[in-house]
Amino acid sequence: MKAYSYSDFSLGLHRKMLDQRFPVQGTIEVTYRCPMKCVHCYNNLPIGDQQAQREELTFEEHCRIVDEIAKAGCLWLLYTGGEIFVRKDFLEVYTYAKKKGFLITLFTNGIFISPEVADYLKEWPPFSIEITLYGYTQETYESITGLPGSYERCLRGIRLLKERGLPLKLKTVVLSLNHHEIWKIKEFAEEQLGLDFRLDAMVNPRLNGAKSPLEVRLRPEEIVELDRLDPKRMSEWRRFSKKFAGPVHSSGLGETLYQCGGGNHTFSIRPDGGLTVCALSSAESFNLRKSSFQQGWEEFLLKIREKKVTKRTRCISCEIKAICGMCPANGMLENKDPEGPIDFLCRVAHLRAKALDLSIKPHGTCDYCKG
Amino acid sequence: MNDLTKCFLKESNFATRSILGETILVPIKGGVGDLNSIYVLNELGTHIWEMMDGKSSLNRIIEEICSAYDVGPEQAEKDTLEFVNSLEVSGMIRSIPRTV
Repeated sequence: MKAYSYSDFSLGLHRKMLDQRFPVQGTIEVTYRCPMKCVHCYNNLPIGDQQAQREELTFEEHCRIVDEIAKAGCLWLLYTGGEIFVRKDFLEVYTYAKKKGFLITLFTNGIFISPEVADYLKEWPPFSIEITLYGYTQETYESITGLPGSYERCLRGIRLLKERGLPLKLKTVVLSLNHHEIWKIKEFAEEQLGLDFRLDAMVNPRLNGAKSPLEVRLRPEEIVELDRLDPKRMSEWRRFSKKFAGPVHSSGLGETLYQCGGGNHTFSIRPDGGLTVCALSSAESFNLRKSSFQQGWEEFLLKIREKKVTKRTRCISCEIKAICGMCPANGMLENKDPEGPIDFLCRVAHLRAKALDLSIKPHGTCDYCKG
Repeated sequence: MNDLTKCFLKESNFATRSILGETILVPIKGGVGDLNSIYVLNELGTHIWEMMDGKSSLNRIIEEICSAYDVGPEQAEKDTLEFVNSLEVSGMIRSIPRTV
């Protein structure tokens, strides 16, 4: 018997998967409901939304789907929301999946973590648990969440999980509302709490098409400045751009539209059982209430995965796509066009290339190359 | 020396997964094994693991390994005992009282 370290095992499995389509990693959104009203969130619905609650999969349906994805070979499973603990039966759903041998990550805002929940998670530990800390101060935190008292409850959740030695990580989304506190949040997480921390400044329109989250999105210059001020991020972008830059990794006309792992190694399931290529790509779905995961993976997601690039856009010959957030899901959310370039992302990618000293070859009529 | 009439049963704190032809043992409860380690079984290990059913004695397992892998009884006994010991030390199986 060999006991591999996690990283060796993961690397070996990913190498084995390179040439085959295999659903090794899944996301399940158990609910869209959340007591917080975060201004930037792409999917949250009010905690008392009865229609949303009625549409959610039942415990029995979760069990059936988890059985099916285990059979299909899924190993890494992310439970997210909304807020996962809004569902009173979430720990039952989670434990059922735990017993099946998934490596489970939980995304939560942390406000429902009581001593009892923390003790339970200590007994049935997740592979990883991530909490988003929206501010260093209560004022900033609650200006984003819109829920009085949520700051203290979040800190309590962090403390309870940390005291029990659970594999906790913190993260934040950088918005115009908390931009001024970002480095304090990072210092608090890494130096005072000794936890892993990451930040992300990318914000999407809501799944229903509403653009309200974009009102608190940073300007492109501010996003790239965050990279510049963080040597670790800069070195990661540099490594990534060296590995993936170049036309060979760009989607050409007639080539496969999806270049990510969606529908190839990953999948996502909505609260109502809709199977999608990713959580952001909700426009097309396959109803797992009526049909099996196997059918959804082998027919529906394969069809999406085989979609081709049909338009000659400036993305086609762009060699800095590796450092750009453009993808069909983002295109649909922002422009209702999976292939149409998103001006905001073009601007970020070009500024980032400049910060990394990458030369950009001409790629059609591009307004951003001029500047 | 091991008692070859002993039977073993899998502990319920590990889940068995089969991913891309590999058998993987994943610890599912706190305090068991190392959650940062994944136990990967080879073909022989998988075969023996499947026989940790509380009914098959070590003698029976060794016989089965001899016939399935075309190896002599001494080699089969050595391989089986080595593997079963490592499973027992890692808390993945426990011996159960003999029924006969």
